[in-house]
Amino acid sequence: MSNFIPGQPLVAVVQRIEIKKLRQGDNLILGFSIGGGIDQDPGQNPFSDDKADKGIYVTRITPGGPAETADLRMGDKIMQVNGYDMTMMTHDQARKRLTKKNEDVVRLLVTRKSLEEAVKNSMGGYQRQ
Amino acid sequence: MPAEVKQEQSPSNATSLAMMQEPQEVVEETVTIEEDPGTPTSHVSVVTSDDGTTRRTETKDVSSNVKVTKMVKTVTTRTVRQVPLGPDGLPLPEGSSPLGSYTDSIDRRYMKNGGDRFITPQASSTLTRSYNNSYNDSYGEAPESQYVRHYGLHDGYADLTENYGSLSRGVNFRPPRYPYMPNSYRPENSYTLPIRKDDYGHVAQPQVPMGSSTVDLNRSQPERFQAEPYGLEDDRRSLPPEEEEPYELEPDYSTANRRTGTLQGPNRGRTHREPLRDGPRIRGYPDEAIEPELIDERHPYIHSMYSAPLALPERGSMASLDRLAGRRSPSIDSMRKDPRWRDPDLTEVIAMLGHPIDPVKSNAAAYLQHLCYENDKIKKDVRQLKGIPVLVGLLDHPKSEVHRKACGALRNISYGKDNDNKVAIKICDGIPGLVRLLRKTNDMEVRELITGTLWNLSSYEPLKMVIINHGLQTLTNEVIIPHSGWEHEPNEDSKPRDAEWTTVFKNTSGCLRNVSSDGAEARRRLRECEGLVDALLHALQSAVGKKDMDNKSVENCVCIMRNLSYHVHKEVPGAERFQDPSAPQTPGSAGPQRKKKDDAGCFGGKKAKEEWFNQGRKNGDNDKNYDTIDLPKRCEPTKGFELLYQPEVVRLYLSLLTESQNYNTLEAAAGALQNLSAGQWTWSNYIRATVRKEKGLPILVELLRSDSDKVVRAVSIALRNLSIDRRNKDLIGSYAMRDLVSNLPSGQQRPAKNLEEDTVVAILNTIHEIVTDSSENARSLAQAQAIEKLVAINRTSQSARETKAASHVLQTVWSYKELRNALTKDGWNKSHFQPTATVTPKATKNGKPGYDDTTLPLMEKNQDGYSTIDQRDKDLKYKTVDGSVEQTDREPLKNDTNRKHYIRSNRPAVSLVDACDVKPQPVDSWV
Repeated sequence: MSNFIPGQPLVAVVQRIEIKKLRQGDNLILGFSIGGGIDQDPGQNPFSDDKADKGIYVTRITPGGPAETADLRMGDKIMQVNGYDMTMMTHDQARKRLTKKNEDVVRLLVTRKSLEEAVKNSMGGYQRQ
Repeated sequence: MPAEVKQEQSPSNATSLAMMQEPQEVVEETVTIEEDPGTPTSHVSVVTSDDGTTRRTETKDVSSNVKVTKMVKTVTTRTVRQVPLGPDGLPLPEGSSPLGSYTDSIDRRYMKNGGDRFITPQASSTLTRSYNNSYNDSYGEAPESQYVRHYGLHDGYADLTENYGSLSRGVNFRPPRYPYMPNSYRPENSYTLPIRKDDYGHVAQPQVPMGSSTVDLNRSQPERFQAEPYGLEDDRRSLPPEEEEPYELEPDYSTANRRTGTLQGPNRGRTHREPLRDGPRIRGYPDEAIEPELIDERHPYIHSMYSAPLALPERGSMASLDRLAGRRSPSIDSMRKDPRWRDPDLTEVIAMLGHPIDPVKSNAAAYLQHLCYENDKIKKDVRQLKGIPVLVGLLDHPKSEVHRKACGALRNISYGKDNDNKVAIKICDGIPGLVRLLRKTNDMEVRELITGTLWNLSSYEPLKMVIINHGLQTLTNEVIIPHSGWEHEPNEDSKPRDAEWTTVFKNTSGCLRNVSSDGAEARRRLRECEGLVDALLHALQSAVGKKDMDNKSVENCVCIMRNLSYHVHKEVPGAERFQDPSAPQTPGSAGPQRKKKDDAGCFGGKKAKEEWFNQGRKNGDNDKNYDTIDLPKRCEPTKGFELLYQPEVVRLYLSLLTESQNYNTLEAAAGALQNLSAGQWTWSNYIRATVRKEKGLPILVELLRSDSDKVVRAVSIALRNLSIDRRNKDLIGSYAMRDLVSNLPSGQQRPAKNLEEDTVVAILNTIHEIVTDSSENARSLAQAQAIEKLVAINRTSQSARETKAASHVLQTVWSYKELRNALTKDGWNKSHFQPTATVTPKATKNGKPGYDDTTLPLMEKNQDGYSTIDQRDKDLKYKTVDGSVEQTDREPLKNDTNRKHYIRSNRPAVSLVDACDVKPQPVDSWV
């Protein structure tokens, strides 16, 4: 992710995460908070390697909430939500995309550093073999 | 209102439940004072003079503003030089004051010379002369010396008119014209300017470098300039007494030496260029110290300047400039060290505004516009040097080039927080002048400049009424109506036109938006201005139709509508006929008994309907006719201000609330609904019911989740007013409670949104309104986990207003005996619902009669109807200005409780910058 070169295809290691929204009265909650978006200052994002990355990141997770249950983690970058690209959205658009009232389940495609590491390591291992 | 107010602020009521029924009439007028965001750009000055000396190479592109300015400046400088240096045989000053000579020369010009025939010769001749002249100038020369010099020039310039014909002589001694025009002065200009500007403080430095070169110059023309000191003094005298900082003209400072040096330029210039080249290098640059800032400040100009082909110097010495784009300072150095040219100083430029030759005037004005761009100091100087009346005078100039440039300069001068500049424009009748020109001109650019200037002026409170008096109908007829697409009598052949979001329309609507906040009288004038409301509504409808709702013009229109909707139920002619008879009578208001039979007119069975509504309100859920709204049938199409409160507008505002991404528009649309649903009159009953019928409640509730503080606030108060309608109250209680509660801070830690105190109080008051008279709603409040938050606010909030508002809600909740059981089960007891010991004193101690800010968010209680936001804004923005009657009038509104709050809320409430750009930055949001 951090080595993104504009115009070049982007390779990202992603994980699928499916979160079932929790109904609290009239609200459906996912139990995490997001930061970032193309209208935000990417420099303030503590999770991104590339400080120009305006993607949507998971900033906080409610303990015991649906997101935690689904193994979403703080610092994950959300690439897609239910098939919609999330990397070029304003913060508010992202929020709306996640909080659609008529969707009980969201399927996220996220990428996180540890995943990349893991893949790198495994690939390295493969080569060594 | 007043009655309610009194009731509320009595100390005993502060904690008692008795007062709780009161908050029905929450009205708000949020005033947005805003200056034309586009103003500071000089890009309007793109078009340079038509005298053949200008270059229009620059096209407007995104970043062209700067370039363009540069061009203008260049041109200006060139012509500018001729003025001071004037005809060679420059006779001695006449002894009249500079201003006198200025007017003289204008008159004479018109008499003697038909037109511009001398332009070219003069321009060329002066070039040479000025070229040399600038050589004599030290860059380090302090401004004082220039003022000194100026007066010599000035006088000479007065004479210039007389010797006008001699100008042509210049041609003769001026060799190749164009070769050196573009090269040297262009780059230099950009640097000399900042130096000058920043140099004002540095008094002593400049004298040093003058030395040798000036001396021999002196010899060539010593006698000529003897009279200067006089001019200097004259200038001082001419400074208005109130100016605290006249130019630091120390008498001994203005050495004759320097003056003569500069002034002699013209003569020397006739000789050769070559020798001059050495001169500059000898000189030191005393201002080196300030260079870094200068560079920084001017960098954009520099940058763009070099991309303009014309800006490229021809001569080798300037070639290095090309490199400038990359690294700045070295090239800048080299440029600045080439002082063969100098820019005219401010006094000279102002004097040139009165030059007999039109292109000189227009170039001088354009140059002034450039100089004033984002430079408050220069603006002030122009004012102090009496430049503003001259510019205003040029508005009536027949030549479009001249009045256009004058407009441009005025626009930049009028921009900014220095209200004295605005006042100065007003004092010399600039406002009628601008309006007059608006009527005359068809030039789009000029219209943009005029309306931009008016927008700037309209941000200053005392000028609002002046603008209304002089310009309202003209602005409406000339701009708002034509650009809105609305037609008085649409003929069936023509399609309904859409609004055009032109700059002119944006500026004008911004101006009207500002003036619409000037109180009841201003609102009345705008409402009664023929065609205004109709056109604004048409424009907004067209925006909704085209789904183009985020732009500034729409924002302005909605804000005007919101402001005009404020207090309609009290201020609109004939409003008393519609007062709800069941509403508590306010003293002094014309009661319903005043209603005349014939007033009902085409409304038919209005009375019956009122009763229906009242019944509905009283019987609540029992009324089975609930969702049918029996709107009055109109005999003829509504027009004018009546459109403001017709139920049809509800759909418009709801569309805006659904579709717009612009927080200001959202806020204004919610505010409009808030205003319309306030009060007890027939129309607000209709409006409240219509919002429900149009399914507006979910839209509003949705917006409670907005990231924008002010949107949440406006929506919250709108919901409060809407819940005056019993059915609305039930719906809001069932469906909005969670969103309301989620906006409340919990305990010590504020939620991610971190809403302002105002907003929190607004939400608390809305909650209070909803739970009042409805134990069902109180129950859902408790179920929304609100009690914990309310108790926390009540106990720990730093804000007395929040504490008090939370306490009111808690008391109301506790008052429902049927809920106590459940509450106790949840671990709450009576003590949680009682006001904390400190609350009462905190809340009441500062409350002044007639003003209780705690329970009524954003609401002002004075009859005149200014929101507290407005008030705060004024306090902050205009506190330096004396003599504003209105300000002192409202002084009593301020109280200590709000002091801290003023500062807090000033930022979001009103911003000078284009509000679209100031997006709140949600760091993160829970999903």
